[in-house]
Amino acid sequence: MKQILSPILFLAIGIQILWSQEQPASYTKKVLEKVAVQTLFSYYTQDGNNAAVTGGEGTEALTDAAPTIVVQMPIGSDGILTVDTGLSAYTSASSSNVNPLDGNEPASPWVASSGPSRSDVLAHFNPSYAHFSADRNTIYNASLAVSKEYDYQSFGFGAGVSKLYNEKNTEVGLNVQVYLDQHDPQYPIELRTGFFNGNIRGEGTYTNDFAAFSQAKRNTYALSFNVAQILTAKMQASLFIDAVMQEGLLSSPLQRVYFADKPDFFIDDFQLADNVERLPFYRYKYPVGARLNYYISDAIILRSYARYYNDSWGVSGLTAEIELPISLGLNWALFPSFRHYSQSAADYFYPKEMATSSAQYYTSDFDLASFTSQQWGFGVRYKDLLSQFSLWKIGLKSIELRYIHYNRSNGLQFDQTALGVNFEID
Amino acid sequence: MKYLFIVAVLLMFSSCVAVKEYEKVYINAEDMALSARGICKADISSHIYREGAAGANGGKMGGGCGCN
Repeated sequence: MKQILSPILFLAIGIQILWSQEQPASYTKKVLEKVAVQTLFSYYTQDGNNAAVTGGEGTEALTDAAPTIVVQMPIGSDGILTVDTGLSAYTSASSSNVNPLDGNEPASPWVASSGPSRSDVLAHFNPSYAHFSADRNTIYNASLAVSKEYDYQSFGFGAGVSKLYNEKNTEVGLNVQVYLDQHDPQYPIELRTGFFNGNIRGEGTYTNDFAAFSQAKRNTYALSFNVAQILTAKMQASLFIDAVMQEGLLSSPLQRVYFADKPDFFIDDFQLADNVERLPFYRYKYPVGARLNYYISDAIILRSYARYYNDSWGVSGLTAEIELPISLGLNWALFPSFRHYSQSAADYFYPKEMATSSAQYYTSDFDLASFTSQQWGFGVRYKDLLSQFSLWKIGLKSIELRYIHYNRSNGLQFDQTALGVNFEID
Repeated sequence: MKYLFIVAVLLMFSSCVAVKEYEKVYINAEDMALSARGICKADISSHIYREGAAGANGGKMGGGCGCN
């Protein structure tokens, strides 16, 4: 932790010292007056019938509990240090079937196994620092991002600059992010060296085309450009353009593939893999998004978002989202929302038993299939404008509860409930 | 489609006038911010896992396997 915090604190203090030498001694309002704390707890449940770990057929039942805390601290009058840290603890039926033979039930893609791959915890730690110029028209930022789960770890860093023009009516920003990730590949049990089981059923002897990946690194380089514009006293919009390159092991080593031209073998009801998914070494992504917000009245605001996405794997997607914050007096607000999404399939996507072993690339991950989805959401927020609820130096700012239901055309659905509580510390 | 989308947004930006600071009471309302609301961070994370498309919304563009 100390090693991670040191560079960003050093950078923050360095920028602060340099900046303070340039500025005349005069009073400037702090960009952040008090320490702000945002806590977020979300609980996610999912179900579906197209688990990628079991080659496109099998239970996708999954639950995830994710507590997160974001602390923003003023650094001098011009800087903000933000520390975002959290956990994501999940239990996944499909992940449990990396080894379907370690439970008490007969092996089946429709039943969760009780082995250790059934659950995992992802931890993340993202500190960042933003420095504002004296006239508040230039903002520099630098960030680190570290995350770790059982078979995957990630280290990221980034920097960016934003400039405000035209009496702060126009903002232009450029950000660069780099992630250097490392897999610890966990292959399906039947593909591991030394696997033997006397209960295999099928014609002939079970063999497979599997060879372990020679590459376990995954690097991501992302360039983001954004421009925001105030259009009228009640309307503003922004445009986001990203260009992302990924290289390395972009396949998930635990996701099985069953070939059309290979015989089938089973243990109980569980079909043994012919291989794991194989995806190209490179992926280039080009998302373009826009937001438009309109203050309709004191009672209602329109928030809208649209995105077009395409990538070098043949996936293109459209996203449209609308949210209507409805104010109920000074303290309470409601947040109904709707989101529509559609995507085309990746060039390498095949449902179960549709790929052939001669193909160079293949996956049966239905997240890369063609589908549409709809999401309905509803939230309620209480804002404590006068900090009536406070304890010692900690004052409540707001508390919000949000629920969403997501439905995908290929059967997957999830529900997510999130509770966010924001505080200020004097 | 992509180019049409960009042109439409740029045309929208080209017709604006400067709004003075004292006129920004509506623009500065908390729910008018041009970013995803804090509580929607959980939604964005779920979409990154369950959909092929990602990015251009202020969320992460890497740093996770997306395998569960």
